Amino acid sequence: MRSLSSYPANSGTSKCKQKEDEAIDLHLFSQFLITGIIMGVLYCLMSMGINFIYGIMKVINWSMGEFFMIGAFTQYILLTFLLGADYWYVGVILSALVVFILGALVQRILIKPMFVGIIEAKMEYATIVTISMAIFLRNIAVAIGGPKIYTPPDYAGPTQILTLPLSGNRLVAFIGALILLGLFYYFIKKSWTGRAFQGVAQNRSGVQTAGVNVLKYDMLAFGIGTALAGAGGALLAPIFLVHPLCGLVPTVRGFEIIVIAGLGSIPGILVAGLSLGIAESLGSAFISPSFVDIYGFILLVIILSIKPYGLFGKPEREV
Amino acid sequence: MDDRSNLLEVKNVVKMFGGLRANDNISLQVEKGEIRGLIGPNGSGKTTLINLITGIYEVTEGSIHYYGRRIDGLQSNVIASMGIMRTFQVARVWRDMTVLENMLIPAFTQGLSRREAKSRAEELLDFALLIRLKDKQAKSLSGGQNMLLQIVRGFMHKDLKLYVMDEPFAGVHQSIKGIIIESIKMMNQGKDVTFLIVSHEMSTVKALCNKVTVLCKGERIAEGTMEEVANDPQVIDAYLGG
Repeated sequence: MRSLSSYPANSGTSKCKQKEDEAIDLHLFSQFLITGIIMGVLYCLMSMGINFIYGIMKVINWSMGEFFMIGAFTQYILLTFLLGADYWYVGVILSALVVFILGALVQRILIKPMFVGIIEAKMEYATIVTISMAIFLRNIAVAIGGPKIYTPPDYAGPTQILTLPLSGNRLVAFIGALILLGLFYYFIKKSWTGRAFQGVAQNRSGVQTAGVNVLKYDMLAFGIGTALAGAGGALLAPIFLVHPLCGLVPTVRGFEIIVIAGLGSIPGILVAGLSLGIAESLGSAFISPSFVDIYGFILLVIILSIKPYGLFGKPEREV
Repeated sequence: MDDRSNLLEVKNVVKMFGGLRANDNISLQVEKGEIRGLIGPNGSGKTTLINLITGIYEVTEGSIHYYGRRIDGLQSNVIASMGIMRTFQVARVWRDMTVLENMLIPAFTQGLSRREAKSRAEELLDFALLIRLKDKQAKSLSGGQNMLLQIVRGFMHKDLKLYVMDEPFAGVHQSIKGIIIESIKMMNQGKDVTFLIVSHEMSTVKALCNKVTVLCKGERIAEGTMEEVANDPQVIDAYLGG
């Protein structure tokens, strides 16, 4: 068989075609890379919420996806009936606030009683409550909204970064998520309330015997953690659309990120979120979009086989 | 809060862990201004008792009173806010925070102003010779320095009345032990703080405590001055017996 280069008349055209293909590949690659980064940061919101609640209460909140869904529904209702599409950012803030109040109430009424007094396995009981909440809230959403998919108005039209076309909804959601993550990081690291949260996370009984009301911090943590999910739901509403199961995918991704990052590390969550988003996006583009849910798990298995505590996790020691 | 001499009163306290009777009908009174030692062989129930006093555990039977007010069943932070602080045998400091931040967290929850809290924290750190480490993370400190930090952190309480310490001298360097003893004396004499100290260091307990209570196998077996309990046959048997 003769190689293409052996055809002198066609060699120039072939090289040109090859270069064009490479340019298209690079163009596509960049586009999917950016999409991956955007989705990664958005998943981080969910992870940060799960991680924060676990860090303070040592309870895995399995109903995070449902709080995400409530955030998405609240945003849809606000934009459709009250605010209009132009005030989507006000909607995001209000949705997060609604979910914060709901989350704090759920903690106050259903979870706090287990943390008052000495109950063994309270974390396990609380975890079961969150599973029940997930089922309850999902079914309530089906009962009220029916098995329909609601489409909120777009936050922004299609745009582009340099020459790369990009969904405006994704870009504003990305910027919104970055702002929320930045505010959350600043609150935890710089404010005195944030430092008290760190104290509760690092040594619960130590901080309690020093006079800190850990039950109050539990309620706030649950509210803030679920509010992050609610804000995520509101930001992603035009992308994932609004239906009773819309929180499922971000929740699974949120847990994957936490395992990849290792529990308790905020920078770790960002790195893991970006890695997951990129793996998912590039895998869908260059292998097959049918296996979109698998790429993250493959990444997770590879990371855990090399670093069993996750990228930034450390073995825990109780004193 | 009244000025009764009986600052702390433990009445017939029983603590069960399943079938194990960790504290068995223990009663004791601690008067205001005392430095009381709580001694006994390993497993005698000393730490369990202070965990009951500070709200870590709930009593199974009996009651605990502080200035006449019943405090068993209250949350640890509520007990702390009433002026009862404690230390743990393994220092519970916030390892990822600086020494100064460790001092300020309790003050922040007690409504002290930032300036007031910082000035008090620096004064205490200076006394404890930890001031040069104030911006270091607690995890970079030695075990003894962490214990010292844990102890002076308790002094940040603006209305500290009773300080319960669990093995404050265990495994710390002689120089740090000296600072701990000095700080206890200073707070006791200068600020009228009452101490209940669990320790195995008999010489230190003898030098520091007006009175000691001896526990053995969950029961109170003796109480009095160190000389009195040292000659008590039950105490001798508890420490030397089989």
